[in-house]
Amino acid sequence: MIDPTAGPSATAAGPPRAGRPERLDGLVVGLVANPKKNAEPFLDAVGELLAAEHGTAGVVRTRKTSITDPIPPATLDELVRRCDVVLIGVGDCGSCSAAAVADGIAFEGAGVPAAVICTDAFRVSADAMARLQGSPGYAYVTTAHPLAPLDADAVRERARLALPELVELLTSAVPVAAR
Amino acid sequence: MSIDENALSGLRSTLAADDYRMAVTESGGSVEVTITAGPDACADCLVPKPIMRNILHAALGVPADSIVLVYPADAS
Repeated sequence: MIDPTAGPSATAAGPPRAGRPERLDGLVVGLVANPKKNAEPFLDAVGELLAAEHGTAGVVRTRKTSITDPIPPATLDELVRRCDVVLIGVGDCGSCSAAAVADGIAFEGAGVPAAVICTDAFRVSADAMARLQGSPGYAYVTTAHPLAPLDADAVRERARLALPELVELLTSAVPVAAR
Repeated sequence: MSIDENALSGLRSTLAADDYRMAVTESGGSVEVTITAGPDACADCLVPKPIMRNILHAALGVPADSIVLVYPADAS
């Protein structure tokens, strides 16, 4: 079970945020999928689009086995070593949205730019986790709820629609507001 | 107590997306919040209580530790 009080102090001055690359070409992208239906296809589609349109060098995939728990420390460490940026999602329920934000903040704290994706029904949960982690206003990207029932073509279309904001989150030196 | 009805409404919508419902009962300076599960609710989808308390604290205007929070698992 996730401990929402772990991580940066709630009195920390703003979210910890890793330095951003100016461009994504040549970079390795981590894909951190949760067990929710269509999370992996969504992230795979984003990974393919990043390679095709932004010249990323490859992906490192991992699939969490728990909806509620944060990414295991060993997996976090491995991805920090192997990846230049990470994508995390898709938060399509209350607890997995909160966990995705916690994971994003953990990667940022470890120096790896992260972009979290949640569905828009779960902003409340995602924002609450950000506050509890000492990162109020932590920025993430939303797609319409629900994602789980969509077919493969619709999932790819959602990924295509989210791509510009995800790229901005990974490369923008100035934090964007949570959307 | 200063209840932010907009925030509560947003929380109800979030809970409903996972097939949960929320009842809020005020009593003097305290508040009891009971979450109930619908037939399609998944137990793992409900956020841990500390997160829910943080959300409710903002919505209800009362200290998080003064909120009596009842989850479906508490009734079993």
